[in-house]
Amino acid sequence: MNVIASPAPTISPASPQAQKVGAEASCPVGMLTLFAGALLWLLAASLLGLRTSLNFHAPTFLAGHGYLSYGRVHAAQNAALLYGFGVPSALGVGLWLLCRLGRTTLAGPAIVFIGAIFWNTAVALGVGAVLCGGGTGFDGFELPAWCAPLLFVAYLMIGLCGLLTFHQREAGPLYPSQWFVVGSFFWFPWIFSTAALLLLCVPARGVLQATTAWWYVRNFDTVFLGFAGLASAFYFIPKILGRPLRSHYQAALAFWTLALFGSWGGMPDGAPLPSWIISLGVVGTVLTAVPILTVATNFYQTVRADLNALDADPTLRFTYVGLMFWIIAGAQQIVGALPRVSVVTDFTWFGAAQEELFHYGFFALTVFGALYYIVPRLLGLDQGAWCPKLLKWHFRLTFLGVLFSYISLLVAGIGQGILLANSGNSFVDVMRRTMFPVRFNLTGDLLVVLGTILFLLNFAGVLVAAYRRCCAERKGCA
Amino acid sequence: MNSGPLLFLGLFATMACSWTGFVLAPQLQLGGLTQTNTVVVGDALSQTYPLAQPGEAHAGSEVYRANACAACHTEMVRPLDLGSDIQRNWGVRRSLAEDYLLAIPVMLGSQRIGPDLANFGRRTDTNGIYLRLYDPRLITQGSVMPPYRFLFETHKIGFFHSTDALVLPDQDAPPPGFEIVPTPQARALAAYLLSLRQDGYLFEAPPPPLPRTNAVPTNAVATNAVPAAAKPAAK
Amino acid sequence: MNPDEPNKVVDQKDAEPVAGRSTVPIWLIIAFGLLFYWSQLFLAENAGGFNKEVYSPYPSLEEVALANPQDPGAKLRAEGMRIFSTTCAACHQASGLGNPGNNVPPLAGSEWVLAEGGNRIARVVLYGLTGPISVKGQEFNGGTMLPWRDTYSDEQIAAVLTYIRSQWGNTGGPIEPPVVKAARAEARPSYETADELLKLPVK
Repeated sequence: MNVIASPAPTISPASPQAQKVGAEASCPVGMLTLFAGALLWLLAASLLGLRTSLNFHAPTFLAGHGYLSYGRVHAAQNAALLYGFGVPSALGVGLWLLCRLGRTTLAGPAIVFIGAIFWNTAVALGVGAVLCGGGTGFDGFELPAWCAPLLFVAYLMIGLCGLLTFHQREAGPLYPSQWFVVGSFFWFPWIFSTAALLLLCVPARGVLQATTAWWYVRNFDTVFLGFAGLASAFYFIPKILGRPLRSHYQAALAFWTLALFGSWGGMPDGAPLPSWIISLGVVGTVLTAVPILTVATNFYQTVRADLNALDADPTLRFTYVGLMFWIIAGAQQIVGALPRVSVVTDFTWFGAAQEELFHYGFFALTVFGALYYIVPRLLGLDQGAWCPKLLKWHFRLTFLGVLFSYISLLVAGIGQGILLANSGNSFVDVMRRTMFPVRFNLTGDLLVVLGTILFLLNFAGVLVAAYRRCCAERKGCA
Repeated sequence: MNSGPLLFLGLFATMACSWTGFVLAPQLQLGGLTQTNTVVVGDALSQTYPLAQPGEAHAGSEVYRANACAACHTEMVRPLDLGSDIQRNWGVRRSLAEDYLLAIPVMLGSQRIGPDLANFGRRTDTNGIYLRLYDPRLITQGSVMPPYRFLFETHKIGFFHSTDALVLPDQDAPPPGFEIVPTPQARALAAYLLSLRQDGYLFEAPPPPLPRTNAVPTNAVATNAVPAAAKPAAK
Repeated sequence: MNPDEPNKVVDQKDAEPVAGRSTVPIWLIIAFGLLFYWSQLFLAENAGGFNKEVYSPYPSLEEVALANPQDPGAKLRAEGMRIFSTTCAACHQASGLGNPGNNVPPLAGSEWVLAEGGNRIARVVLYGLTGPISVKGQEFNGGTMLPWRDTYSDEQIAAVLTYIRSQWGNTGGPIEPPVVKAARAEARPSYETADELLKLPVK
């Protein structure tokens, strides 16, 4: 039933002249600042994550002062990961995609640069404040109240540049990645301002604070980060394989259903809320099976077992694996929402495993894949600028690390849930019995940290190579 | 799907859909909740619920927030058929929206690396809290909870011993002439934890029918007895 | 690249990806329909009518109300208050203290009202009362209470009786309509006397 309904769209391959008017012709400083800041924050978050994992080996380690105690470091780690790494990398990749697909240069690169500096400063101050005890107490929205307007202004600066870039695009049909990028750029200010208002400015009454916080986190992850990562996947996988994306219509279906159903939910089943809110959340989560199946079908038909290409190109490898992890994380979220399952898995490591897989396995890997393609081209180099050994080990370490972390937390979560369901097992007994996989998570964290360091070294190497080439050219000109 | 404005309109509509369902509608329904009366069986007196936290308890909730205790502890009890919370004596009934009416911020938590604290005030006392904060392994062997010694201070014993100086076993005891006392933060946190109780049945979670005897039901209110120090807690 | 030849790899350097026009497979659409249908069933069963007072495990507001301790007299009391204030308070006063000057006995603390069963007072209301009656140690002579059997139904009289047994410090239980119905079935003539009543059972 896969009949091609109408003649193919007539997008001509970009001519050499046209290619010059692309992202590569943009001033790279803004986007590079976003990427560099994001990577440093990823490393910081991973190191903070290392410290929290250490708690389960030696709870008294580093617990002398408040600054490095488990709770504060956990909150700081989450903030660094989501706001230090997540948002800037989503913005940076999104801006580049808008330039490329719109065949235009970045609008207002200086503003993007200032916005990036502003954003990173606000996050740094906020994470420091969290470590000093100023966190808000909401999971996923930890940065203190005074940070919110700073972040919002910085985002607006960058987001408006993106909007202008989109507006000045070359006329022609939109490619799915553009919808996803515009969608993610649009979604964040809405959810962020709602959460900031209802949690910090004019706190909602009672349990509504928790409802808003859960709604915000679900929207941030599934819609904002999901859109940003999928935009990258929809662009790079067909492009590098040299094949068209199988179906525009499936992409549209996935886009709208992910926006619609991905934004419903986030409340745990046992939350102190009337049953209609929880049921609506369950329905929304289960219906995200629609976009997941659609994306899976679309890419399966596009890729069609051409898995040899995965070895050849790092971008393809990272993006493809990231997409697989997105599907698995999404499937786990659906299973975990079903009432019969959530009775067992709620409030256990199960949720932590899903978050880990989504943030590191899907989003970070997808961003890595995008950066491997984008960064050299932004600097006027080609793919050969990356050191192949560092690249190879970056992939192996990160992939293994994510896998170890995910599987150990998943096993711990399911075990904890099943044991806790029997009220005869005392709580501390259950924790003792599930401690081994929780402790094993430390290996996963270590591998991810190492992989990130390797990538940072590689990134620095590319920057140095670009600088040298720039100097050589200048000398040549002179 | 090639028009920018249509794309924005569509995104706005989907965002509005989610916002209406999960932000606006709950606010319309639950935003007007006020203090209510408990539902009682027989001759018992109905009481106002929830009662406001005393001042020190609110300061304690700030300590709870600053140290992100919600990273490991939840504050919500699930209903009888949804998990073993009530069987574990973590509460007499499930948690309701009414329970959190007067709390700012509401820190329900999302993961149970430690037990649920919604009714912690009913099963502990001040001294137990201090000991657990100072060194959790004094109360619960094998606990992974980090110690919060920075909430305590060691100082020379003055003319009189402090009334809330910690009584510690020999290996943890301070040097002679010194005592370990909780800081105001620890006191506030203890007041907050003791204020955590969700007794009082409400319309949405009515009391179970009274048995036809005067005997107290088996999963009755825990006493304020100090838990024995060396025994692992049965939770 | 040419979507008509999807497997032909072109030089990647210049080409931007295009989206083909393949349609959504029918099995996918059927799967979505089934999921959507399931979601409607799930909401019908678990959403509790979108009522803010329905928490799991109760499926509906009726179940929650049923699970709460029942107060059978509440409805009767409410109706009884309405009838009492329009009809009975004129003589017996809203305070239930009666009007001794006019030979109207009090209801508050009256042993007739607080008797174990409602048979006697049901008859007083149904058939009226004449002649002397002793209430709380006081004699009331010369007053007449009108019969209400043709004015009010069994349910309404039961409501009033329930009301007077619960007000002004009275702690009697509710009177159910069947008690009044049984009293009405006797079809006595009007205007009983206290002596006749005292010969009858209380219940």
